[in-house]
Amino acid sequence: MNRKHLLFTLVIFGLLMAVPSVVRDTFFLRVITEAILWIGLAISWDVLAGYTGYLNFGHGAFFGIGAYVTALLINLAHWPFLLALPVGGLAAGVVAAIAGIPTLRLKGAYFAIATWALARAIQQGALVMDITGGPDGMRLPPFLHPHFFYFLMLLTVAIIFGGYWFLFEKAPFGLKVKAIREDEQGAMSLGLNPSWIKLQAFVLSAIPTGILGGIYAYWITYIDPASVLGDLVTDQAVVMAVFGGLGTLIGPTIGAVIIFAFKTCFWAYLSDYQVLYLIILGGVIAVSVVFLPNGLWGTLSEYLRARRIMKNNTSAPRATDKGVRHV
Amino acid sequence: MSEPAISDPAPSEHLLQVEGVTKTFGGLHAVFQVSFQINSGEIIGLIGPNGAGKTTLFNVISGYYAPNAGHIRFNGQDISGKPPYKLAAIGIGRTFQVVKPFAGLTVLENVVIASLVRYPKRRQAEEHAWKVLETTGLADRATVQASSLTLAGRKRLEVSKALALEPTLLLLDEVVAGLNPTEADRTIELILSLRRQGITILIVEHIMRVIMNISDRVVVLNFGQKIAEGNPRDVATNPGVIQAYLGEAPQ
Ligand SMILES: Nc1ncnc2c1ncn2[C@@H]1O[C@H](COP(=O)(O)OP(=O)(O)OP(=O)(O)O)[C@@H](O)[C@H]1O
Ligand SMILES: [Mg+2]
Repeated sequence: MNRKHLLFTLVIFGLLMAVPSVVRDTFFLRVITEAILWIGLAISWDVLAGYTGYLNFGHGAFFGIGAYVTALLINLAHWPFLLALPVGGLAAGVVAAIAGIPTLRLKGAYFAIATWALARAIQQGALVMDITGGPDGMRLPPFLHPHFFYFLMLLTVAIIFGGYWFLFEKAPFGLKVKAIREDEQGAMSLGLNPSWIKLQAFVLSAIPTGILGGIYAYWITYIDPASVLGDLVTDQAVVMAVFGGLGTLIGPTIGAVIIFAFKTCFWAYLSDYQVLYLIILGGVIAVSVVFLPNGLWGTLSEYLRARRIMKNNTSAPRATDKGVRHV
Repeated sequence: MSEPAISDPAPSEHLLQVEGVTKTFGGLHAVFQVSFQINSGEIIGLIGPNGAGKTTLFNVISGYYAPNAGHIRFNGQDISGKPPYKLAAIGIGRTFQVVKPFAGLTVLENVVIASLVRYPKRRQAEEHAWKVLETTGLADRATVQASSLTLAGRKRLEVSKALALEPTLLLLDEVVAGLNPTEADRTIELILSLRRQGITILIVEHIMRVIMNISDRVVVLNFGQKIAEGNPRDVATNPGVIQAYLGEAPQ
């Protein structure tokens, strides 16, 4: 992602800031708020999957942990929401750090299984505990203010996006992470400690996810193990990121918008056929893995790059070879 | 790893000391009780038939395997069993016989990553990477994907990455094999220029012409054991060495 993309992203952000003053319909505002939430979940999954190559099939657990910890602090400790929220994110980060030490040593497939199992265990934990309300879940004090949640979600996801963009695309950290994705053994000979770098990436993926969970809990005012700790959170984030294009930030963003729009329309018109939605979701992932292995954005940007190179080659042969050096 | 409390008697001038190193895989002694030293500024050739244990010894020296017995000392410090990334940071660079480019990244990015150990800021790392690419002759390929390099280019990239660490000791595992004569000469020229810069080099190579021309001393392994050591001419006429190579690949 280059400067032009960043500018483009900023324009989008500006437009999104203006949405509430145009959109009066609260249902529609709510839909956009949720779409932004999914962008956050897709990119936070992507920074581990796309940049380090580790597929976390328990991503939803971080969302749920953030949601529950925030809810517990508000309900039991009577903390103000804005104080409870970062602690919820931190809790997700701590769980990632603890879980990551043994699991990030595993090879990819085993890591996927381990994270999936961990998420199931956490979900079961929330089901049997008293403090979490078991299967009945938890109710939060209602704070019914759609605009507040819209702006909070937008700002949070914008900060997450910007932070990730800086860390994974601008800062040396991103290169280190990619080196480990490409060849862990080779990276070690260049002074990189793979365990440490992967652990950092895992925690960086978990904390924002936990924060999004906290916002979700306070916004929806009701959470239970199925809604915030279930498989669906992970599954959708995975499909969005894979469909959009791993390791690009923009890809998962586009993927999230498209898949979420589809889901919303589907829910609105065909709500009796929820199973059908899951079947289609599975179909989309299968088809995109086979036909768009780099996702929508990956395929598109590759095509554009190839075309640019072709144009450069015909118009100004090799003129740019030295020109690109210090950009 | 526990370090001995009493440091080595009188810091020796040996840059690297390999002391009775053994590395076994199951029952196989891939490297068995091998000892030799490297002085600062030397080029040491490490030769031996296929499967002699050369790469395994490289892996032990660079921290990929802990030795089952014996020690490796670098600048007098026991480094046996330390992880590769720590050894890279204290000045041991290596290449891989089976090259390990970061295929999805550009040539420049590959070398920038290696530069980050010495130059943690991206800008400085990039400047340094450009300098390295100039010396290794890859500068004009800097912006292409590493996966699109030819074998010669990939070997050159291996060397570039190891060099970007600014190593004191450089381990080169068959960086000439597989190159055409022109490319081979360029690589040999590069290795000699590195020595002039003061880098100490341990090189594995099957091509005798290379080893004989550039090594100050040669260490010969066979079935994991050191069977000879000395200046290239003496080693080449050593009956034991000739014996080891007979039937393998008469050079
Ligand atoms: N990871 C491993 N596991 C089991 N055996 C191994 C392993 N690595 C090497 N070996 C065995 O150890 C012996 C030494 O192998 P090594 O690769 O060190 O030889 P080499 O001298 O580098 O050979 P070549 O000239 O073909 O590169 C061989 O018998 C090899 O099969
Ligand atoms: Mg070898």
